[in-house]
Amino acid sequence: MFRVTVKSNNEIELVGRLDASQVAVAREALDRVDRSSTIDFRGLEYISSAGMGVLIMTQKRLSESDQKLTLVNLNSHIRDIFRYAGFDRVFEIR
Amino acid sequence: MGSLNSVFEYIDEFMLLNRLNHSATYALRFIVEELFTNLVKYNRGSQNEIAVSLEKVGDSAVVQLTDFDVDEFDLTKLPEVSVDEPLRRRPVGGLGVHLVRKMVDEMRYEYSNRVSKIMVTKNLKSSGVQGHSQEQ
Repeated sequence: MFRVTVKSNNEIELVGRLDASQVAVAREALDRVDRSSTIDFRGLEYISSAGMGVLIMTQKRLSESDQKLTLVNLNSHIRDIFRYAGFDRVFEIR
Repeated sequence: MGSLNSVFEYIDEFMLLNRLNHSATYALRFIVEELFTNLVKYNRGSQNEIAVSLEKVGDSAVVQLTDFDVDEFDLTKLPEVSVDEPLRRRPVGGLGVHLVRKMVDEMRYEYSNRVSKIMVTKNLKSSGVQGHSQEQ
């Protein structure tokens, strides 16, 4: 199960497991984001490289207009994986 | 990618049967998904199913993925990905196998009679998702 909710206050909530079978759902939602936003990972149990690719793609697109994603409330496993992927260099992670 | 869900169900059964902790479960799920999706992506010509097996040997899990009637494709020889690049030069994909390398303790490839086998060993006692060699 995976769910993404884009709220009106520039906050995006991810819930469940974001694997390769769910990546189209995430991409469809994040493609609509056009300003700096915070992604709340509190409810996200799992993410694979497919989901991470959507995050990088969105960050690249937003950076062209000086906007960015901030990632918050990551569990320890996702935080470790993001560190190995160098995401701490291209995202603000809180 | 519908068969990925069957793979995850199999991993969940393995996790419950062997009472694995969250770190080991996360790592195994990630390892198998990345290897599986890479085999699917690079062996599009094959109509055969990819066999996935998990076995607990001592304190480790041994993961094997077998792809039948395919050309040789050695995932262990994919070039390293630089994760230090600035955002504008970062590729969107290619992270999967890089991260698998960080998580496992051993990764081997065999190819014979058009059968491709990738085998990884993951120590289940690691304190995080990383392999023992990555622990500080």
